Amino acid sequence: MASADKPINTDVPEKDVFALHFLQSLSNLRRQNAFNSPDDTTNNRVKKIKKAAYVSMARAAGGTNRLWSRALLRRAAKENNKVVIFSRRKKRVTWLRRSNRRDPVDAERLRNLLPGGGAMETSKLMEETAHYIKCLSMQVKVMQCLVDGLSAK
Amino acid sequence: MSSRRSRQSGSSRISDDQISDLVTKLQHLIPELRRRRSGKVSASTVLQETCSYIRNLHREVDDLSDRLSELLASTDDNSAEAAIIRSLLN
Repeated sequence: MASADKPINTDVPEKDVFALHFLQSLSNLRRQNAFNSPDDTTNNRVKKIKKAAYVSMARAAGGTNRLWSRALLRRAAKENNKVVIFSRRKKRVTWLRRSNRRDPVDAERLRNLLPGGGAMETSKLMEETAHYIKCLSMQVKVMQCLVDGLSAK
Repeated sequence: MSSRRSRQSGSSRISDDQISDLVTKLQHLIPELRRRRSGKVSASTVLQETCSYIRNLHREVDDLSDRLSELLASTDDNSAEAAIIRSLLN
């Protein structure tokens, strides 16, 4: 098969897509009375918000279309003891992972930071990382806007 | 090298050009490296800076989650909704 290089796309959605998903998560939390419940500790509240941030970011960024977001959502669902069914995709050749022994230490560190990074081929790792970074910055911007909006009186 | 390539499943064959392209892309995404306009940056440096950038972003999410938790707990329903909508329309 000719290695016709198809362009690698790492575009992310607009900021309002992230904002919308995050707001939905927050309003769900509010509906469960997660913010005012007296028997919930501050720590739990923060954890819930943090989780909502990551999950909504993964959904906004394309849900199951990216390896990192799939891994993130899978991890979150496992924490909720939910059963997750993903549509069957082309089987990834994960044995390649072992042949990545020529990976420098830095790539290893990166694998540990990126959700699902451990099973990725090095080139895929770079692509997913670029996308992940863009999404993370979007999410941070959204949260910062929210904090600013709520702090201004 | 090429024999290893031919064993890969069809679609995920990526050329060296694309890899260096991705490294360049990463380089442009990381503020720390964008500032150092000193031309060539080694792939190893890009990876290192990528790692610390991701860790920083994670820390920011932690920090902002903290602050959001405080803010959302202390404001009452009506003003919180209004403030949220106001902040995101800007």
